[in-house]
Amino acid sequence: MNVRQWIAVVGLALSVPTVAHSQLKVVTSTTDLFDIASAVGGDKVKASHIGEGFQDPHFIEAKPSFVLQLRNADVWAFVGLDLEIGWMPLLLDGARNPKIQLGGSGYVDVSKAMPVIDVPRGSVDRSMGDVHPFGNPHYWLDPENGRRIAKLFLAKFSELDPKNAAEYAANEKAFETKLGAAETAWQAQLATIKGKPVVAWHTSWNYFAEYTGMRIVAYMEPKPGVPPSPSHLLQVVQAVKASGAKVIIMEPFYDRKVADLVARQTGATVLILPPSVGGVPGITSYLQLMQHDVTELSTRVK
Amino acid sequence: MRPTLLRVLVLVAIASPATAQQSRTPLKPPVLTADSAARAIADSIALMKEFEKLTTAAKPAPAANNSAQGSTNTRMMPDFSAVGDLVGDLSPKRSTQADNSRFGIREVELAVQSVVDPYFRADFFLGINDSEKISIEQAFLTTTALPAGVQAKLGRFLMPLGKQNTTHRHDLHTVEYPYVIQRFLSDDGLKGTGVTTSMVMAPFGFYQELIVGVVDHFIDTPDGLTVDKPVNRNLDGLGYSARLRSYVDISQNANIELSASAMTGKVAQPLTASYTTADNVTASAVGARQTVMGVDVTYRWKPLQQGIYRSFILQAEVMRQVNERNPVLPALSPLFDPAPGFIRGYAGPTRNYTGGYVFARWQLSQRLYLGGRYDNVQDPMAAGAALTAGSAVLEWFPSEFSKLVASYERVNQGSALGLDRLLLQAVFSVGPHKPHPF
Repeated sequence: MNVRQWIAVVGLALSVPTVAHSQLKVVTSTTDLFDIASAVGGDKVKASHIGEGFQDPHFIEAKPSFVLQLRNADVWAFVGLDLEIGWMPLLLDGARNPKIQLGGSGYVDVSKAMPVIDVPRGSVDRSMGDVHPFGNPHYWLDPENGRRIAKLFLAKFSELDPKNAAEYAANEKAFETKLGAAETAWQAQLATIKGKPVVAWHTSWNYFAEYTGMRIVAYMEPKPGVPPSPSHLLQVVQAVKASGAKVIIMEPFYDRKVADLVARQTGATVLILPPSVGGVPGITSYLQLMQHDVTELSTRVK
Repeated sequence: MRPTLLRVLVLVAIASPATAQQSRTPLKPPVLTADSAARAIADSIALMKEFEKLTTAAKPAPAANNSAQGSTNTRMMPDFSAVGDLVGDLSPKRSTQADNSRFGIREVELAVQSVVDPYFRADFFLGINDSEKISIEQAFLTTTALPAGVQAKLGRFLMPLGKQNTTHRHDLHTVEYPYVIQRFLSDDGLKGTGVTTSMVMAPFGFYQELIVGVVDHFIDTPDGLTVDKPVNRNLDGLGYSARLRSYVDISQNANIELSASAMTGKVAQPLTASYTTADNVTASAVGARQTVMGVDVTYRWKPLQQGIYRSFILQAEVMRQVNERNPVLPALSPLFDPAPGFIRGYAGPTRNYTGGYVFARWQLSQRLYLGGRYDNVQDPMAAGAALTAGSAVLEWFPSEFSKLVASYERVNQGSALGLDRLLLQAVFSVGPHKPHPF
C-alpha cells in the first residue's frame, strides 16, 4: 500500500463508529429514563444518567465531567420537549460523538413516542413564563407512558444490538408485568385519590393528575418558573379554602417556606413528592417511585 | 428499521445458541433437534408478534394539538436571537464610559446559529453599537464529525486565552471584563480570526481539554499607528495560542477547574517618531513580539438539590505579558530628511507586566446574587503603574432571559486619586440563544 492508501485506511477506521461492544453504553438525562433503560437493557447495557432525581431537570449544569460520559455513549436518551434545552446542547457539542448528535443512531428523543398534553394554543412567548412550547415534558409520571418508554428502549436497543434483542424483549415484558401487577395493587389507593383537590407547585404533576384523577385547583407558581408573589399566594389560599384541598404537593428541590405559609393559612399539609427516581432516599426504581407517590398522596388526601 | 429486516435479525439471534452468552469466543455450529427447532420457531413467532405490536405501539397516539410529534422546523430556519446590553454610569465625578455617556446602549448582539450540514455548525454574532456601528464579533464554523473527539473551529471567535475572555461581555458576572483582560488583551474580549483545534481527553481520569490555535494576528494595531510592514507578513507574526483546561468534580456539589493558557504574536508597538523606511513607508510603529501567559482557577459550589437557590463561585486569573525589548527597527530611507531633534528609537514596552484578579459571587436567593472582585494590574498603558480596583456587584435575574446589575467600584491608578464608579446594567435576550460555556 502506498502512503495515500494507508491514510485512507486509517481515516476510514477512525471515522467508522466502533461496533464491537460487549455492552451498549446508554446515557440518559434523568434517573427515570435510566431506570427503565436499565430494566430493559439488563446486563447487556451499561447505563448512566446525568441528572439526579432530587435535582430540578431544567437547571442541570453542563459540567465537563458529563462530557466524558457522553463521548463514548452509544445511546443518549433524553426527555425532550425542551426540558433539557438549557444544558443539553453544550454537552452534546462537547462530547463530539456523532452517534448521539441529532440524526445519529443513538440520539433518542423519548418525547417522540409520547402523547403530549398541555401543548399551548395560539401564540407562545416568554410572557407565559418558562413555558414549554411543544407541550408538557413531565410525561413519565403516567405509568402508561412508562410502558411507552420501555418499548422505545426495546426498539432502540434491539436496533443497535440485534443479537440481544430476545433478551431485551424478555426484560421489557418483565418490566410491563411488574408494572401491571403494581398498578393492580394500588387501584384502591387510586380510588381514594380520584377527584380530590390538590395544589401543585409546578405543572410537572399534570400527567400524574390525569392518571390518578386528582384535581389540581391551583399552582404555587403564577406561571411556570415564576416564583409566587404575595398577591398570587392570596389567590392560592382562596382556592384551597374554596376547594377543600388538603395537600400541597411539591418537588424536593423547591424551597418549601412559601408552601408552608399557605399550609398554615389553610390547614393543608405540604407533601414533598419525588417526581423522579432518587428524588427522596429509598426510591431507587420507577416502580418504587410510582408506588410511593400514589401511596403518599392517597394517605394525605383522605 | 423495517419489520421484515428486524424479524430476520431476530430469527438469526434466536437461532444462534450464542445469544444467551456474553462470551466472544468462536461458537460451534448449533445442533438442532426437532424439539429445539420447534421451540425456536414458536419463540420467533411470539417475538415477531411482540415487534409488530411494538411498531404500532411506538407510534404516538394522535392528539389534537400534538405538534411535538411532527417536525417543528420544516423550513430549516436557523435560530435567531438578540441580546441588548444597556449601561448606565452614575459615577459621581464624571462618566467613566469611553463615549462619556451616562446612559447608553453598549451593544446589541445579534446571533444567527444553526447546523450547516452533517459536518458543521455555524454561529454568527454581530455587535452593533453607536461607535463601531456594526461589527463581526464572531463568525465561525465548528466541526461536528471529526474523528477521535477532535473539534475544529474556523472563523472569528473569542480567543481561548484565560477563563473570562471566552465569555461574552454581556454574560459576565460583572459589568466589564477584569482589568487584566482590558489592559493586556482587549476592552471587549480578545477575538481572533483563524482556526483552533481542540481535543477532549481524560488520561488521569478527569476532564481535560487541549485547545491550540493560529489566528491572523494577536492584538489589533491601535488607531494612529502605522507599521512598516504588516505584523503577520511572516508566519511567525501570526497569533499562536494554546490552552490546557483541567476540570475535576470534588463532589456532586463542588468542582474545580485549573487551566493554563498562552498566546504569542507580533504586535504593533510605537516608535519614538515616525519616519520613512527603506521600503518607502512612513512608519510610526514596528512589529514586536508579545506573549501573554496565564493561569486561572475556578471553584464552584452548587448543591444539587437546592441548586436553584444557592451557589458560590470563586475565580482567579493571573496573566503575565512578556514583551520583546529590542525589536529590529525598520531601516531609515536614505531619502528621509529628519527634523531637528529626531530620534530613531523604540517607544514600546521594555519590560514585562503582571496582572490578575480574584472574583467571588454568592447566590442570595433564586434570583439574586452578590459578588465582588479585586483587580491588581501593572498597567502597560501607564508604564506599569499599579492599577488596583475593588468592586461589589449585585445581580438580579427576573428570569433566565433578563438581568439587572448594580455595581460600585473604587479604582486607584498609581499615585492618582482614586475614582469611584457606580454602574448600572440591563441585559435582556430574545430568541433561542444557546447556553454559554460552563
